[in-house]
Amino acid sequence: MRKRNTTEKSYHGNMSGKIIINLILMIFSITCIFPAVWLFYSSMKTKSEFFENPIALPSTLNFGNYINVLQKSDMLLWMKNTARNTFLSLILILLIGFVVGYFVARFDFKGRKLLYSYFLLGMLIPIHAIMIPMYILFTKTGLGDSWYTLIFPYTAFGIPISVFLVESYVQNVPRELEEAAAIDGSSFSRTLFSIILPVCKPILVTIGIIQFFSLWNEFTYSLILLSDERLKTISVGLTIFKGQYSTDYPQMMAAMFMAILPAIILYFAFSKQIIKGMVAGAVKG
Amino acid sequence: MKNRLKPGPLTFAAYILPSFLLYTFIVFVPIVVAAYYGFFDWSGGTAKKFIGLENYRTLMTDQRFFKALGNNLFLIVFCAIGQIGLAFIFAMLLESRVAKLKSFHRTVSFFPSVLSAVVIGFIWSMIYDYNYGLINTLLKATGMKDKVQPWLSNEKIVVLLVTIPLIWQYVGYYLIIIVSAIASVDSSIFEMAEIDGATGWKKAVHITLPLIKNTITVCITLCIAGNMKAFDHIWTLTGGGPGTASEVVALYAYKTSFLSQKMGYGSAVSIGMLVISLVFVGVIRFVMGQITKEKE
Repeated sequence: MRKRNTTEKSYHGNMSGKIIINLILMIFSITCIFPAVWLFYSSMKTKSEFFENPIALPSTLNFGNYINVLQKSDMLLWMKNTARNTFLSLILILLIGFVVGYFVARFDFKGRKLLYSYFLLGMLIPIHAIMIPMYILFTKTGLGDSWYTLIFPYTAFGIPISVFLVESYVQNVPRELEEAAAIDGSSFSRTLFSIILPVCKPILVTIGIIQFFSLWNEFTYSLILLSDERLKTISVGLTIFKGQYSTDYPQMMAAMFMAILPAIILYFAFSKQIIKGMVAGAVKG
Repeated sequence: MKNRLKPGPLTFAAYILPSFLLYTFIVFVPIVVAAYYGFFDWSGGTAKKFIGLENYRTLMTDQRFFKALGNNLFLIVFCAIGQIGLAFIFAMLLESRVAKLKSFHRTVSFFPSVLSAVVIGFIWSMIYDYNYGLINTLLKATGMKDKVQPWLSNEKIVVLLVTIPLIWQYVGYYLIIIVSAIASVDSSIFEMAEIDGATGWKKAVHITLPLIKNTITVCITLCIAGNMKAFDHIWTLTGGGPGTASEVVALYAYKTSFLSQKMGYGSAVSIGMLVISLVFVGVIRFVMGQITKEKE
């Protein structure tokens, strides 16, 4: 009887309704964060401690698992590879998106619409439908298994959303900007990079945010296109590590926590901008 | 002066052509490559045999392919319901006047979306783990020992079990999209509805939902595109197993090409996947277009 009353009145803001709503939200939020927290504190446990009770907190703060991971595996190398791939691809995605997006937004050349649609068409192609042929293509052309291999697909897959967002942004940039620069004697390229580029900074930051996490976490293409151990990325590295030390759970969890640490730090440092950027990109795209 | 404002053909080509070529080479040339090798019996070596439409004919009756496709559809439907449905419910709770710590909930619920699918897969494989998993530990602790089982080896529910992590990871993502859609609606509409007596779930279903219909369609489209890509999670959780029970099309294409060394057939599967995705996207866009039109 009493229970029914509370659900009915919950939206009128009475005490129990208030508590129930906040309780549900709190439980939801805890389930979102708990697995990462569990990963972290379990990585401090010893094997026997973990097997005794997988949920309990560790008895001491013990970073031994992390030291083991660093000694036994190429974790740091995988991270370095991933960071390099992510960084170089990001630069190219932003540069290409900026240039192409600006051109299709500003100039009324023949085939402009066609070119624009062509650059957006990639959004419709599921990346897994082209992974097998891309493997064939990369093997035939000798582009596979190099430090630069992944930069090609990473960049190309990032182009559509990047062109799209820059195009709609530049539509709202006043043309007077370029006209004034031209009167002052600035060349086309100089205007493009020293006047327009800074104006587009907000949208480029948004694109960078959206792309960063998908690049850092990318798995499929690094699995397929690279076979050299020295070139592996963090996601594939983790699967190798798991294959080798699958029974040592806490150590495995230390490796996983290390892999997601950069994303965690970045996320909690810039969560407002990241959420805003990712939602803007999703809804507009 | 004019040259400074509008680039000549050479400048134009210098700026656009490299991007155009890179993009074409990576996104469109593979489609041609797949279409070509789809006509061959080829294991990746030098010997390949032209067999015409044979691969495509096999594909049409390939039970394993259609079962994998069925799993993709299952994922899409359950993720759409689970992700967007839960997100809507939590959005309503979060937007209610009594909710506290709003920005904390937003930040924390979005957090799983930025994590690597491989790590999400591992975390959940530990949650499902037979000996030390969270679920079985909790079952043992609460005296439900008879429910303890090797979760991911259960063929009947394995597809559902691999769907749950996907739902879990992205509820917060859709939550934020829906919350920002609600925030952009003129708040006087909600106030008026409340004066007219529409509160709680009545308000949610009859007032809020129709107002954010367009955002919901965006969410559904995103959800479909996102779950067609389900590969990493399943790879790390079950590898498609037990047997082929939780295989999706991308995983099947991978196994056919790299484990069974059937590159020709793998190419045909890729083309099949591409065609089905495009048809699917076309149908969805059409349906969504009709729904949005009705509203106007």
